[in-house]
Amino acid sequence: MEFIQKKTADTSVEHFLSKAAESEIPLVWDRYEGQLPECGFCETGLSCRDCLQGPCISHPFRDSNKTGICGKERDILAVQSLLRLVLKGTITYLDRVSDLAKGIESKEIKPKNKTKTDQWLKEAQSLLQGDGTGFKKEFPRPLIRRWEEMGISPEGIARDLFKAFQKFEGGITDAEETLLWSFKSSLLGCIAHWLYGRLKRSAFGEPAPTRIEVNLGVLKKESPNLLLCGHFSPVLKRKIAEAAEKNGVHVSVVCSDPLLPPFHFPVATNYGSQEIPCMTGAVDLIVVGDQWVNPSLMRVAKEFEVSILSTEGLKRERNPGRFAGKIVDQTKKSFDFRRHIPRDVPGGTEVAMMGFSGGSICAKKILGAVHKGQIRGIVVFCGSNNVKYTQDQEITILAQEFLKNDILCIAKGETSVALAKYGFLNPLSREKYCGRDLSAVLSSLGEETPSVLDVGGGEDGAVIDLFLEMVKIGKKDLKELPIVGCYPEANRSSEVTEAMWTVAMGVPTYFWPALPVTGSSKAMEGLSKFSEEKFGAKLHIMTEKKIDARAKAKLILEAITGKGGYGFSGKPWK
Amino acid sequence: MVDKTRCTGCHQCELWCGTEISSASKELAKAIHETPQPVPRVYVEGKQFALQCRHCENAPCLEACPNGTMRRDPETGLVYVHDPTCIACWMCVMACPFGIINPSSSMKVAIKCDRCRNMGYPICAEVCPTQAIRLEERKDYRIKAF
Repeated sequence: MEFIQKKTADTSVEHFLSKAAESEIPLVWDRYEGQLPECGFCETGLSCRDCLQGPCISHPFRDSNKTGICGKERDILAVQSLLRLVLKGTITYLDRVSDLAKGIESKEIKPKNKTKTDQWLKEAQSLLQGDGTGFKKEFPRPLIRRWEEMGISPEGIARDLFKAFQKFEGGITDAEETLLWSFKSSLLGCIAHWLYGRLKRSAFGEPAPTRIEVNLGVLKKESPNLLLCGHFSPVLKRKIAEAAEKNGVHVSVVCSDPLLPPFHFPVATNYGSQEIPCMTGAVDLIVVGDQWVNPSLMRVAKEFEVSILSTEGLKRERNPGRFAGKIVDQTKKSFDFRRHIPRDVPGGTEVAMMGFSGGSICAKKILGAVHKGQIRGIVVFCGSNNVKYTQDQEITILAQEFLKNDILCIAKGETSVALAKYGFLNPLSREKYCGRDLSAVLSSLGEETPSVLDVGGGEDGAVIDLFLEMVKIGKKDLKELPIVGCYPEANRSSEVTEAMWTVAMGVPTYFWPALPVTGSSKAMEGLSKFSEEKFGAKLHIMTEKKIDARAKAKLILEAITGKGGYGFSGKPWK
Repeated sequence: MVDKTRCTGCHQCELWCGTEISSASKELAKAIHETPQPVPRVYVEGKQFALQCRHCENAPCLEACPNGTMRRDPETGLVYVHDPTCIACWMCVMACPFGIINPSSSMKVAIKCDRCRNMGYPICAEVCPTQAIRLEERKDYRIKAF
């Protein structure tokens, strides 16, 4: 049981905590404490609800109920808990790409690059309806061969997802093979995510590094505020942006991609504090998707008389143009109705440079700096917020430690927003955070380069593109490069899927909190020793709950630089 | 007190008792892999009801113990096992009317609930999600049906 000591590192969020307590509005931290102690069987992956004879548990301290009614043993229960998360995550990526493909097919927007859009659209359809093997042309050959040898190369939804789901229905698949099925389905998610990025960029245009304002101060006191929360179709988002621009409605986003060329949106806050923008009283209407949206938003919105519109309802308006018009009209009306509600917007925003993807990240220069020894390694930050940790604290400490030790930090999506709130994405703070060598490398990439490079929204697949680019330029396997993935505050199943495919691509990944596999030593071994043998990378899961962020940073630093100053391969970089 | 109408049979009391009281690491994720396997002092078996020592006023286990291993704390009245002197004769196990004393074959001692006498509050009551297990002073337990 871990009660919360400090809720958030963000002072503008802290301002609203006392306000919530006074008005007796329960926030995410209160609900978490109400849930303690969390179920130990579910936490360690030793529970199962797959059939109606159960629910079953594997009791670690008693012999009479070590196995489930159907005979599932502890190892299978734990690995299946992981598989369940991975499958859920994979479907989120498939849903996104299907949304985007449908939107583009409807011809509501004019694609920026027609030929490329048609090509990627065909690939997306092949992934959703056929075998989707088009990615094999773009991914490095040795990687594909390794996946094929293990039988985990994606073969389309029917061969991967349908089959993987059957593992819950029965069969005698052992723990190792179930783990491989998890990897296989995560790779399908990887392809979907990568395709989404390609399709989005060909239809909407390549994002260039853009100056974006971040934190609650972006909400306007004097004009109607529309908040876009979570993921929904970029076509609708674009239509909303167009209509809002015409009508003088200010649009900001939470847990949603801020870059949608030619538009970009200010970011109000990040996942952990998604209820807070409502509490400023300055939000007039919220448009929500399904992914990343906490249902608690409804309660806070009701308290502050904010209307919420879902883009995923069964009877929603099908025409994005008309829907966007309605949304913007309603925001303006709502602004007039809500004039009596005081608007308490904390002043001060941070500037963030976002969107260093594709050519603007200069993978060649970065790899050159790695080989020269100016950069000791690369850390890719992923994940969002998890209420089990003080909001944003872990990631900011980790980033500080890495930057001062000349480790290049790359962030995406929610982690970029978290870091941006504390100035890590502001070009002016580069000297403050970075070591001398790293600072020199970053300034050689451009005057406006911040200390942490954001590769674009969490929906973009830009990290995969960066990995592919690095393999192409470096002519080496990813496992031989000093790159690690780091999830300081993971939360959603899509992040679990992402971590799994990162490992399958050969990038060691550090993941907090512990996944529900800790109940089985075989499952833990599968993610460490077995993965190391197969992919050359481990998914590091730590069971210690009271580990300080600096200790985590030290652990990763030691792994990157190696005991003798060498990286994972044990060979010198220079 | 155990309120049988509130117990959902979730086994959380067993899990936390095993981790906090019996394991060496005191951390669930590590305790699971410990040998010998940690032994919880509370049982949820068959029915939705957590069973642990009642600390009887006339405790048969105290009478049955041949060498004074089973003791009563004079201050709190709690009955506990003095581990070093236990000879594993299992007389207490046979005498207990509630069947809550565990003859641990791996540890060779009788294992029973001492209501966390060395801690501030019993762990089972602390972790019970429905508060079916509560620690409270009651004088009327003979009168009120529970």
